[in-house]
Amino acid sequence: MTIRDFLATDHRHCDDLFAAAEQSANAGDLAAAGASFGQFRAAMLRHFATEEQTLFPAFEARTGMSMGPTQVMRMEHGQMRELMDAAAGALQAGNTDDFFGQTETLLIMMQQHNMKEENVLYPMCDQHLADGSAALIERLRSELKEV
Amino acid sequence: MQALLSFDQSPPLTAPLRFLLTAPLYGVLAGALLMIEGADLLASRWTPAALAATHLLTLGFMLQIMLGALIQILPVVAGANLAQPARLAALVHPLLNLGCLLLVAGFLAAAPGLLQAAGVLLLLSIGGFLFAAARALLHVPSTSPTIRGLKLALSGLLVTAALGLVLLLALSRGWSLPLMPLTDLHAGWGLAGWTGILLSAVAYVVVPMFQLTPGYSARSGWAFPWLIIFPLLLWSLAFWCDWVWLAAISQFSLALVGIAFCLLTLRLQSQRRRPRPDVTLHYWQLGLGSLISALLMLLTAAIWPALSQLPMWSPLFGVLVLVGGFIAFINGMLYKIAPFLAWLHLQNRGSSGGSLPAMNKFLSEAEMRQQMRVFFAAFGLLTAACLWPEALARPAGLVFMLANAGLGWNLWRVVRRYRRFCLPVNTVPAV
Repeated sequence: MTIRDFLATDHRHCDDLFAAAEQSANAGDLAAAGASFGQFRAAMLRHFATEEQTLFPAFEARTGMSMGPTQVMRMEHGQMRELMDAAAGALQAGNTDDFFGQTETLLIMMQQHNMKEENVLYPMCDQHLADGSAALIERLRSELKEV
Repeated sequence: MQALLSFDQSPPLTAPLRFLLTAPLYGVLAGALLMIEGADLLASRWTPAALAATHLLTLGFMLQIMLGALIQILPVVAGANLAQPARLAALVHPLLNLGCLLLVAGFLAAAPGLLQAAGVLLLLSIGGFLFAAARALLHVPSTSPTIRGLKLALSGLLVTAALGLVLLLALSRGWSLPLMPLTDLHAGWGLAGWTGILLSAVAYVVVPMFQLTPGYSARSGWAFPWLIIFPLLLWSLAFWCDWVWLAAISQFSLALVGIAFCLLTLRLQSQRRRPRPDVTLHYWQLGLGSLISALLMLLTAAIWPALSQLPMWSPLFGVLVLVGGFIAFINGMLYKIAPFLAWLHLQNRGSSGGSLPAMNKFLSEAEMRQQMRVFFAAFGLLTAACLWPEALARPAGLVFMLANAGLGWNLWRVVRRYRRFCLPVNTVPAV
């Protein structure tokens, strides 16, 4: 398994949770939507954290690129954190229209971010971190499992 | 490597935006031309007005937006950074527009000088873009069907433009070339080799992304562009050797491949997990349905060529492919691209602190829906006008004008709101 495959699978897992939250919100079941969105947000935050604390530092240490792609990915994580806060807020306030406005933005942000990671950054990680990739993936896996 | 280091660099907002904002004007012009010419425009595909209208739509609207959007997405989907996107846009955009207007004027006035001048300008703009894109893509390995598709689509654009140039020279200098089959080949490369492959390459990314559908299978993704290029090469060979039967077989296969792609996309969209069908999805559904109808016409005509001699045949095919097909896709996608770009750039200006307006604050669903209704009406009228040109050509032109004016107005709304949202950041004094 490559780093790309492993983390791309986690992206799809987050997509699933996102879809569940939107479907509940559309059906008017705001309690269920809140619960699903909470699960989605937790999964996203775990994904961001494991990248920022484990994968990116390993990549930066190996390549010496600390202001390159990883810096941008961190910035985009910040933007998505804000969008998720806003969407959760809209849901709490019972404002479905605002919720869908925020999730629309979040979805595109998230997907174009995933695309850059899956097409550019992860393949670079696979290339530069090939020697220790099995151990690294194990570590990512254990971090993603934490609740 | 250098490209990868800066793969974040989103080009400045003006680079893609100038293309997106100009394009609807050409839709308005095409509608106006139909209003002025009336039924005559739909009488044959070879009249000066029909040639002018076709290029208003294909160059002025479609190519314009495709180039603007590529400047934006090449770094994101392919990690291919154009060296100086703002400068490239500032060069390609005026040349393309001037070239397109001169070409249209050249057709309408039957003026060889204008046609040749248009040829030079279009050569410079399309050639310049292709050069910059090729330089950016040269060292990017084709690791995904989308990247492979982008490269092959750009090759399709190269062939289309080269054939167009030959046609221009033949027309304006009176070269004795078989103009009609050559025009068919030019249209084939432009519609299938450039636009069709680009649409599919973009679809692999945006269909799952906007609607959370399952992805296209990797096998179909890799195979599709070649299944288009191969028949196009056979068709080109058929033209060269004057083998009408081979040209017919090529067109038949192109139609089959295109229909397969459309059906596959419809199936994926039926499995979407986003609960609310939005304007973009409706535009896609119109586009796919209309494209399937056009390709069925192509399929039928490859078996019974006499059908294509019917007076309404070519105009109807053109309306289905261009208006109901590609322009509908583009219109739908613009409604995602423009608000998202505005949001992204507002975000990147560092206006944190307050809560940023979401995408639907730049353009609301209701505003998009209103324009979409007019566009659907225009498409219906244009289709009917191919059957009853005397009665319907002018009303169809008017409504098509309105639909494009509505699109332009909506895109301007996005820009105006972007500017308004920018203001507080700059004007509110620090406390």
